[in-house]
Amino acid sequence: MIMAAVSKLNYTVISSGYAAVNGRELKHESAGAAMLAELYREYIGDWPKFFKMDTLSKVGFVASELLLKEIGDKRMEGEEYASSRAVMLFGTTASLCADKNYQETIQDSANYYPSPALFVYTLPNIVTGEIAIRNHYRGETQFLVVDSFDAAQMAFHIGCAMQDNTTGSVLAGWVDSTANDDFSCFMTLIDRDQAQDEEWLSGQLNEIMNNLKQ
Amino acid sequence: MILKLKQEIIEVLNLEDVKPEDIDNDAPLFGEGLGLDSIDALELIVLMEKNYGIKLQDPAKGKEIFKSINVMADYIQKNRTR
Repeated sequence: MIMAAVSKLNYTVISSGYAAVNGRELKHESAGAAMLAELYREYIGDWPKFFKMDTLSKVGFVASELLLKEIGDKRMEGEEYASSRAVMLFGTTASLCADKNYQETIQDSANYYPSPALFVYTLPNIVTGEIAIRNHYRGETQFLVVDSFDAAQMAFHIGCAMQDNTTGSVLAGWVDSTANDDFSCFMTLIDRDQAQDEEWLSGQLNEIMNNLKQ
Repeated sequence: MILKLKQEIIEVLNLEDVKPEDIDNDAPLFGEGLGLDSIDALELIVLMEKNYGIKLQDPAKGKEIFKSINVMADYIQKNRTR
């Protein structure tokens, strides 16, 4: 029999007009893309590459930074255990927002200037790389594009990631963005013990998602 | 020209917290300083074509042209078609 997991998950939720860490709302005056920049300046501020990111990466990056700061998790530069941290994100819209922004630069044949800076974000897994680079993680990174949010499916995949005897924890989350001002995201950190009980983990992920929807 | 070029670079490279006066006219654009990367170099090539009609046939030339703001501005003045 699998024992119940030891502690509840820490989490961050961010939507176009709302941001909270472990249910504690973060004050902000703006909304949408401007809110992400406001949160970056207020709570992060030392990673200028943020401003070059697409919306999917910005929201995932800010959510991960707020979460890791909340729990006092340190960056893993030079650490042997850096390979033990995986990043697994899920979403339905993938890089649609970046795709549309890039499309605008090649839409008009008379004004055809494809933007390299926009093009590099036309893959959803770039957000996992941005987070891994920032924190010096060298573990598995995945972005799974799914039909709809399914906590059991997420819990299953996270559990599978733990089967390789290398992964000890997974920075996992839900990240969606359909436009620069329209996004939703949650981020959580799951250790090996917490991933053992898929049913418990699924319930936790559902609870967090409900916080995001409110 | 120098100020206009700096403003264009700040805008196209999304250097949000950088002001034109923060960019030294003779300092290298890449490496230290602005911390630009290879994607930024490609964006600068697009900027020169879009704003000044300069089509860089050999992207490797960018290394010399983007040495500093002064060098880039000088190259644009001599080669612009619009």
